[in-house]
Amino acid sequence: MSTDANALSVTGLRAGYDASDVLTGIDLHVGAKERVGLFGPNGHGKTTLLNAISHVIWPRAGEIRFLGETLQGLSPQKIVERGLIHVAQANWLFPDMEIGETLELAAYTRHARGVLKDNLAYVMQLFPRLAERRRQQCKTLSGGERQMLSIGVGLMCAPRMLMLDEPTLGLSPKLKDELAEAIAEISARGIPLLLVEQDIVFTLSLVERMYLVDHGEVTREIHRGSEVDHQDIMDMYFGAEKTR
Amino acid sequence: MTADTISAIIVSGVVLGSLYALMASGLSLVWTTLGIFNFAHGALMTLGAYLAWTMSDAAGLGLGLAAGIAVAVAVLIGVGIVMERSVVRPFYDHRDILLITVMTTLATMTLIEKGIQLVWGARLKQLAPIAPGKVEIFRTTISAQELLIVIVAPLLLGALWLFLRNTRIGRGIRAVGQNSAAARLIGIDVSRLFIVTFALSAVLAGLTGILLGSVRLLTPSFGTDPLVKALIIVIFGGLGSLSGTILAAYVMGIVEAALTYFVGIYWTPSIIFVLLIVVLLLRPQGLLGKVVR
Repeated sequence: MSTDANALSVTGLRAGYDASDVLTGIDLHVGAKERVGLFGPNGHGKTTLLNAISHVIWPRAGEIRFLGETLQGLSPQKIVERGLIHVAQANWLFPDMEIGETLELAAYTRHARGVLKDNLAYVMQLFPRLAERRRQQCKTLSGGERQMLSIGVGLMCAPRMLMLDEPTLGLSPKLKDELAEAIAEISARGIPLLLVEQDIVFTLSLVERMYLVDHGEVTREIHRGSEVDHQDIMDMYFGAEKTR
Repeated sequence: MTADTISAIIVSGVVLGSLYALMASGLSLVWTTLGIFNFAHGALMTLGAYLAWTMSDAAGLGLGLAAGIAVAVAVLIGVGIVMERSVVRPFYDHRDILLITVMTTLATMTLIEKGIQLVWGARLKQLAPIAPGKVEIFRTTISAQELLIVIVAPLLLGALWLFLRNTRIGRGIRAVGQNSAAARLIGIDVSRLFIVTFALSAVLAGLTGILLGSVRLLTPSFGTDPLVKALIIVIFGGLGSLSGTILAAYVMGIVEAALTYFVGIYWTPSIIFVLLIVVLLLRPQGLLGKVVR
């Protein structure tokens, strides 16, 4: 064990698909109980970054350490066993499985099975709507319910850290608020968060720090409370005017 | 049409349907989980039947059918694992996995069939029926072995259903079939479940072969006809749904029995294909299949 106090630290990470690198050297860290956002235009590597961290795709260079230990060479399921849980974007989960079945299945690792009952009760309390729909199949859920289920599935994996990829994609403002509350509540239990979002207001309401990812690199770090003016936000949405 | 005719059609239809359900379920399981068709599925049935014959028949080792079933199950688990590792696994990441595995599993089928011919020879064999004699149901006489098949098929399929529905591995297999990326993210070892699925399907094939081997004669190409039937039924029932496959098996059995009665054995296969085409024109997704998004 190193003395690394961060939940997650990523240094010099390169990854991509086929011949080209989407990530060209990412450095970031998430503190022990921290909530950190990842923000940036579409197609600039945020999802790729989460995929590389959870080893859905294989990193080409760089190091990822989780709770002080390297993740080098671990299969995706070993990473889940370590407790680093990646909740994928627009996840359709298992269309023909029931909600209850899906949640029980998600407690797949030995450790997660040991705490299945507690976690299931917690998910049901956090998302009462899922409790009402336990016998329904995943494919019958609305977009918001599906997001709730995705997060619920992540919680059933007994996370020691959660990475959420656009949990509010395509949701109404009301549902977004509901989800934001749930996410804040999860984080209040001490689970560190890495949150990928397009909605900057939503992100800023939840996180302590935020990285701006642009062209496969971290180009800025913004702390909550620091001044973020309109121009900054415009820059972040549309890309800063810079001379290349 | 007399009541006797109707009962004769239904009874022989259910016998056929039970056989078809057994033949097709293993094929369907592999298709829904791995997304490939295992063309060696029929050859695995043949292998199971021959193994059981060698263990149980007096001309073989004469150890009884229970030993035959046990050995067939054990060997087929092994064959299933080896097959998955050697002819399917290398192509998982390949874009054309479906076509490539058509070729590799066809090659495996030939290999198994020729191997059987080398080991056992081409002379016809038959497994002694587990249940000898005849029984009469609704004034239709069938062999006791056929009745056994009618009873065993739903039991086996029911056990498969319970396994897929209620056990951790079974649910995992369904999850992998429905969304392997999401399955990986909850810590499921996808490739391990692929192996389990393949082995399970091989065992189903072997048991089907053993049941079938006492109502039909064993030859090295004994599995060809069941394979074709199974393929038709899986497509007819709707790709991607085990329940659709089973429903289709029984529908097909009864339709075939009725056609055989009314138009004779000569035209029945052609008419079945015409019916299949009509069904697929009206419902391209099959009987219970889902519309592909």
